[in-house]
Amino acid sequence: MKKSTAVTLLVFFLLIPAALYLGLQLPGRSYYLTATLIILEILVPFFLAFEGRRPQARELVVVAVLCAIAIASRVALPLPHFKPTIAVIMLAGIAFGTETGFMVGAITALVSNFFVGQGAFTPWQMMAYGAAGLAAGFFAQKGWLPRKPWALALFGFFAVMLWVGPLLDVCSLFLTPIQINRQTVTAIFTSGLVVNVVQASGAAATMLLLGRPLLEKLERIQIKYGMLSGGAH
Amino acid sequence: MNDAFSKCHPLVNFLFFVGAIVCGAILQHPAYVAVGTVCGAVYYVLLRRSKAVKPMALMLLLALVMTAVNPVFNTRGEHVLFHLLGRPYTQEALVYGAALSGVLLTMLLWLGCYNAVLTGDKFTALFGSILPAISLLLVMVLRMVPNLMRKTRQIVGARRCVGKGTMEDAPTGEKLRGGVTVLSAMTSWALEGSIVTADSMRSRGYGATRRSSFMIYRMTGTDALVLTVMVLLLAVVITAVCLGQAAVAFLPHLTAAPVSWGVCAYGAYLLLPAVLHGKEALQWRISRSGI
Repeated sequence: MKKSTAVTLLVFFLLIPAALYLGLQLPGRSYYLTATLIILEILVPFFLAFEGRRPQARELVVVAVLCAIAIASRVALPLPHFKPTIAVIMLAGIAFGTETGFMVGAITALVSNFFVGQGAFTPWQMMAYGAAGLAAGFFAQKGWLPRKPWALALFGFFAVMLWVGPLLDVCSLFLTPIQINRQTVTAIFTSGLVVNVVQASGAAATMLLLGRPLLEKLERIQIKYGMLSGGAH
Repeated sequence: MNDAFSKCHPLVNFLFFVGAIVCGAILQHPAYVAVGTVCGAVYYVLLRRSKAVKPMALMLLLALVMTAVNPVFNTRGEHVLFHLLGRPYTQEALVYGAALSGVLLTMLLWLGCYNAVLTGDKFTALFGSILPAISLLLVMVLRMVPNLMRKTRQIVGARRCVGKGTMEDAPTGEKLRGGVTVLSAMTSWALEGSIVTADSMRSRGYGATRRSSFMIYRMTGTDALVLTVMVLLLAVVITAVCLGQAAVAFLPHLTAAPVSWGVCAYGAYLLLPAVLHGKEALQWRISRSGI
């Protein structure tokens, strides 16, 4: 059995139940801590799998460049929340496959917080962005995601609205020091909705304008240097 | 920044913050929350000096608002202070809100200290030997971001020289198109450059054998001492919590375990960085007055 598979099995059958049990034993409301522990336990096998593959220099540098582009576009565009970052992550997933998509997303979230400051939301953001890249790669691999600008834009919009946004809303719900009941949940999700819509339109606009050209560039590099096969062709 | 704790081994820093933030997130007993907030605030001020005032005022405001809001959503509790919109506003819910806000405040303060102490280079140094590929990735990304920004400015400048620049008052559509062209050009350049970098890495032997790692930080005697004290104090705190010294129930009426030695150990643990900071400042003062 591969080492990374063993770790994944260990995480799902031992560590996550252990975290849930620990969360029940802890005094008071430890939703945030329990959930963060589980997120970290899900992130670790991905990182270990990447380590275990002993990535080649080319793979490593291309992942680094994709992360840097995603971060630079986050820092460079002065419009709040309207950023190309998530779109760049998803395009990386589409071009280079699920694992690279996940790594680009998770590393982008981690490193961009080195620039703007780490917060209690960092692991959540890593999970949300990584999964967005992974999902894009998965849908492209299955052939469910046509490479038309409008399809990419729709995918980007709904990926943020249905996954990235809600996950970060749950994080702020767990962090907000109020009793969790139906009213407060509604309040938090409603206040997050505006940000999510802006963020989703940012991703959609980037996909619409840049999706095709950027994908073509990424594929050109892949074909020219014969690397990172694993993405859809 | 002249801070003694920041000069300690990154492992000491990292473990301290993990302990402080996890304890801060779990413990809701008012005494523990108060100790956590005060110690966090002390070290935050020591680290950031005059720059600490504004963020701390904002955090305090947030905590106060959250405290006041909690009873609006939560009407349980025995002592009704007054009725708001026909719903009881209770004392217990207010205290509960204060404790939860204190937890948030503690976490924010310690995260602020974490950002000042455990910089990106220390983080990568710490994980360099455990996760070599990912640490290398982090270092490369940290270097590439400023590099890309610089290149972007060059591309924008070059475009302006050939009359393709967009003015400040250009319509948004034109600005957006210009931005897309620049981002596209930057991507091409960065991707081609990455291949050159990768080939250069390979020809210098990357991936030929296991990577060795260089650690610029050394575990000194002081580090070992601080680490030992830290672990012992944390063990005392964990024992106290397991013995139920941090047990508390807010609703429907407040019942808290009496304050005992657990709080003292918690306070001592959290004051470690501030004590180290103060000790060095004092030493410097004494040695300077000796000249």
